[in-house]
Amino acid sequence: MRLENCWFCSSTIYPGHGIQFVRNDAKIFRFCRSKCHKNFKMKRNPRKVKWTKAYRQLHGKDMTQDATFEFERKRNRPERYDRNLTEQTLKAIPLIIKIRHDGLEKHISNRHKPGKRKEIQKDSKEVAQDIGMLPKKLISNELANPEKTKIKVKVVQQQTEDYAMEE
Amino acid sequence: MASRVKFENSCEVGVFARLTNAYCLVPAGASEGFYRCGVLEGELAGAVPVVRTSVAGTRIVGRLCVGNKRGLLLPHTATDQEIQHLRNRLPDEVVVKCVDERLSALENCIACNDHVALTHPDLDKETEEVISDVLGVEVFRQTIAGNILVGSYCTFTNKGGLVHPQTSVEDLDELSTLLQVPMVAGTVNRGNEVVSTDMAINGPVRFAKKS
Repeated sequence: MRLENCWFCSSTIYPGHGIQFVRNDAKIFRFCRSKCHKNFKMKRNPRKVKWTKAYRQLHGKDMTQDATFEFERKRNRPERYDRNLTEQTLKAIPLIIKIRHDGLEKHISNRHKPGKRKEIQKDSKEVAQDIGMLPKKLISNELANPEKTKIKVKVVQQQTEDYAMEE
Repeated sequence: MASRVKFENSCEVGVFARLTNAYCLVPAGASEGFYRCGVLEGELAGAVPVVRTSVAGTRIVGRLCVGNKRGLLLPHTATDQEIQHLRNRLPDEVVVKCVDERLSALENCIACNDHVALTHPDLDKETEEVISDVLGVEVFRQTIAGNILVGSYCTFTNKGGLVHPQTSVEDLDELSTLLQVPMVAGTVNRGNEVVSTDMAINGPVRFAKKS
């Protein structure tokens, strides 16, 4: 039993799922569900279909180069069975997956950062320039009660005690 | 030393067994007589490890994988468990490698001994490189009597070889010089021209069909 990747969307295909198509030149196409299979039959290019991994990696939406990807390469030369090695590999797999997911999340949030910054700038600019567009009722409130800035005052115990004493 | 043998009442021994100087691969499930009573293990007498395996879940191991004493090539259809099993069982000197090749019945496409290999003319360039690298042989693309399946119609070892009966004399001579071993044209199994399917051979030992 081997967990393959869907040819179209690159998700893992678990046993009992999906369809495999073998072309005349003996190339095997595996699909995780009928959605991918039908898209393939429609001759769609996964690199142009937005929800596939191929598109996301091509357009820089998802992480492409990372050390964690190296672990999953297909190796054609097997190693002799070594119990320790197998045990350590099995322990390491969930850790590697976690690291990869964290890296992916970071990549995506980094991707969003400049956009967010721009949005905030735009918004503050809009408030500054176009505040006159708002109805007078709302603006007068704003002008009448400017935002109270919070000032931190350190409360020193001794002072209050002195006060009490004085009184 | 030639032995006559049958695999599960089938005369096509070469389909089921893969025999080289360093190892012997057989499928599971045949009668113990095939393995023990003076046939395989008797003849090989412990000089060669006999490994029971399946390749790609099938028993036609003799046709799917090809190798010599230096290495073993498996088709990409072989499962991970089988590859691991072979790697564990075979001696360390034998390199086990999977080949990503459209023509997955490797033994039908490649005939080899420890020095030279003849291959199907349509074999991938990459596969040719893998053969020369893993098996440590010189690779020649050839046809035998106009047939592209060289592995089926010709079989040879370090000492000599047998080819399809309709190979012309010139072709025979050419092959002999190429492979540096004496070659003979003939049939096996009372007139079967596909010589490779009916015999499993390595240097000293030969298993052929019963008739």
